[in-house]
Amino acid sequence: MSTYIIRRLLYTIPIVFGVLLLTFVLFTLVGGDISIEIAGKGATQETIDEIREEYGLNKPLFLSWDSQFVNHFKNALTFNFGRARDREPVIDKIKRGLGPSLALTVPIFFGVVIISVSLALVVAFVRGTVWDILAAVICVAGMSIPYLGFILFGQYFLAYKWGLFPVFFSPELTTAQYVALPVLIGIAAGLGRNLRFFRTVMLDEMRNDYVRTAFAKGLTTRRVLFKHVLKNAMIPIITRVVLAIPFLFLGSLLLERFFGIPGLGYLMAEAIGSRDYFVISAMTYISALLFVVFNLITDICYSLVDPRVSLE
Amino acid sequence: MKSVSIIFITALLTTSGCNDSGSVEEPNEMVLHHVLSAKIKGLDPGNMRDVYSVIVASQMFEPLYQYHFLKRPYELVPLLAEDMPQISDDLLTYTIKIKKGVYFQDDPCFGSPRSFGLRSKTAGGSVPNGKGRELKAEDFVFSLKRIANIKYLSQNWSIFDNKIDGLDEFREYTKTRKSEADVDYSRQVQGLTTPDDYTLVIKLKKPWPQLCMALADTSTAPVAKEAVDYYGRDIISHPVGTGPFRLNVWRRGSYIELVRNQAFRGELYPSSGEPGDAEAGYLDDAGKPIPFADRVVWTVIEERQPAWLLFLQGKVDATVIPKDNFDEVMGGTGELTPAMKQRNIHLKTFKDPSTYWLGFNMAPVSTFAESTGVFGKNKPLRRAISYAIDREKFIELFFNNRHLVAHGLIPPVMPSYNPEIKEKGYAQYDPEKAQELLKEAEKIHGGKLPTLKITLPGTNTWYRQYGQLLKRNLSAVGLEVETEYMDRPTYLEKVNTKSIQMFTSGSSASTPDAQDFLAMFYSRYRAPGPNKFNYSNPEFDELYEKAQAMLDGPEKHRLYRKMELIVLEDCPAAFLNHRVAYVLHHDWYKNYKPHAFAYGLSKYRRIDLAKRTAYKKLLKTIK
Repeated sequence: MSTYIIRRLLYTIPIVFGVLLLTFVLFTLVGGDISIEIAGKGATQETIDEIREEYGLNKPLFLSWDSQFVNHFKNALTFNFGRARDREPVIDKIKRGLGPSLALTVPIFFGVVIISVSLALVVAFVRGTVWDILAAVICVAGMSIPYLGFILFGQYFLAYKWGLFPVFFSPELTTAQYVALPVLIGIAAGLGRNLRFFRTVMLDEMRNDYVRTAFAKGLTTRRVLFKHVLKNAMIPIITRVVLAIPFLFLGSLLLERFFGIPGLGYLMAEAIGSRDYFVISAMTYISALLFVVFNLITDICYSLVDPRVSLE
Repeated sequence: MKSVSIIFITALLTTSGCNDSGSVEEPNEMVLHHVLSAKIKGLDPGNMRDVYSVIVASQMFEPLYQYHFLKRPYELVPLLAEDMPQISDDLLTYTIKIKKGVYFQDDPCFGSPRSFGLRSKTAGGSVPNGKGRELKAEDFVFSLKRIANIKYLSQNWSIFDNKIDGLDEFREYTKTRKSEADVDYSRQVQGLTTPDDYTLVIKLKKPWPQLCMALADTSTAPVAKEAVDYYGRDIISHPVGTGPFRLNVWRRGSYIELVRNQAFRGELYPSSGEPGDAEAGYLDDAGKPIPFADRVVWTVIEERQPAWLLFLQGKVDATVIPKDNFDEVMGGTGELTPAMKQRNIHLKTFKDPSTYWLGFNMAPVSTFAESTGVFGKNKPLRRAISYAIDREKFIELFFNNRHLVAHGLIPPVMPSYNPEIKEKGYAQYDPEKAQELLKEAEKIHGGKLPTLKITLPGTNTWYRQYGQLLKRNLSAVGLEVETEYMDRPTYLEKVNTKSIQMFTSGSSASTPDAQDFLAMFYSRYRAPGPNKFNYSNPEFDELYEKAQAMLDGPEKHRLYRKMELIVLEDCPAAFLNHRVAYVLHHDWYKNYKPHAFAYGLSKYRRIDLAKRTAYKKLLKTIK
């Protein structure tokens, strides 16, 4: 397995290089020059030139040891992301946004996975009954409502009208208090899609011969569902679940904006809007690294849950 | 599941363990609760232009002058200056006396060993133990030199470019230095001298009557050199000023809290205003010491729904009316609805000193875009487009009829506004006249007009709807029009390289002098300068140069109006609208008189705590 892991880690080099090249090309060759905007209204050409000098935008793009791309590459490898356009170190922004983002996305993620897998097992077991149909209708309805609809409804009724939660972030609130409603909304909005997927996975498993055999041998429903069906359904579940983990780092833009949670989703969206290349580049790079790492973890998990998979 | 719990708990601890949480509100504590609709970028007055940063920074930093809070027309009064400046007969030398007994807020930068070595170079001596030192005239010199330092990349340099004797030479010198910190600020600038600790003398290269207005801008507020040296580039988040408040908490992107600056010298609420102020209750606190508030809080809320709900809950003192809630508030009668009146909510409207337009690029064919060059010599085409736009429909659709039609360039709130400008008919909606002018335009062009392109600086729904409306108006008179939407940096680059045909834009005045608006048509300021229209008219230029050297008054206003008519006749832009702000506030929020040019107003605001408590009880009955 260690050989496999080393080989997979070596694969990350071209992937990371590709990501760095792509972000660099997109923001230097395709995008415009940000120095004019940084310089502000009525700026003279000399100020614009000085900004180009400060941000290294007057250096050659490629083909030099001191080119913009080589510096971009070096900085990424050393995790030296420099300063954002507002002059705050990029790494400080990421560190600050990470906690709020994870406080929001981690409970949503686990809430959605645990609830939808559990419900999927139940509705797969009662397939064809009125409960199964009801679950399918609710899932489709949940998938059809836009995410923003959940937010506007939740904020207006649950927070404002009924006063069950705070409307917005306030420093007097504990983290649990101000993330409670956004987490609830995130779970509600994500449940339909995930329940549909896991139900299909479970149904595929329930139709296998070994399930009938297990029941014929007199095993209890609980034992069949949790020991056999769930274990055998783990491969697609792992693929979906583990590969979703890197995206937790990116936060949730809409929830963060509507509830005043200063997370990384907000940071990324704002950086894209203002073309803050330094922030975008850092976030993309870290996301790519996380994605590669969790891809590897997914493969390792396959071998742990399914003896037929061996990592060689 | 254990690992799951660890991740979640870690995440919670990371956020809740921060030591920058705000203070809990005491029952009798006077706290102002405000909303910012965008994040602030920094709190370093020398290098900020975005209005949100200026709003917050202006409560902590003070310039030499300020606008009188109550008097209209707007009037400058001393703030850190002892009096208005003594101006020499040739209008070139300004002698300004500085108030004594003004102290910077206490801050570690004043007690740091790194700041001790600066004593001989800077004004006064640094006092150990972090006690703020007294403000001296040399602090103003330092702050102006800092703006001139090219390595500092100040967005405010254009204010002082080619104005103060020797300052441009100082800027040239800074070009030779390696970094911002490498600049020697003890280097003499001929036009910035301090005969004593409390006197600042500014010598100009040529008359610049707007100097006092520039010295009322927060960007010119004094910054302590000790703070700049101590915090380095992190000065953006460590404001050290002389104002009534100081920073207590800044959770970047979400929450800012200021508390009273204990070192503040004290100031009194104005005792006079304009007619009607006493009846409106604006003089109830006349002569009382300010600030009234113990704390000022801003919550950053970019979405309209949460801001509106917090206002209704009484957790925010004032708000603009969200477009989607306009009918709920105004009900189409022009007055507040009974539901709003039941909550004792008050409405304030005021004319914002802003103008928005559809601009024409009048530059010859650009090497960057061959499609340009259509408008430069084709005045009938430009005027036809102006007549083709239905401004009233635009304002109705996009602003709930709240804005005003821009009949000219200068907004109504400015003293130089021409009250008869509407009669000139430049903003008239007349599609037939537009069609006639287009025939003339085709003759000048030498055939069928090409497809025209409007460039808009945004890609969201609002800009797309805006583009659609303009396109429909122009298509209705027979023009073929395309729209292109782009992010702001790309838009700016295209405008600055003269690679566009038509563009939407707008501007808001920072002073009551309309010079900023007129400068946009001065031929020496063509793109990348402020004249994005690349307009040129020698008669206009001559008047502009003449007006620049004149003191404010009727003669100058007459010249401004003449220049405005020249621009309207040449039509380098179709002026569309002037913004009118509609603001709601609760009845406990006192001394809330809108001001077009001042930002440091939190010191005047007062909370009627009994009324705030009563609102909480009222909410229980109406929910």
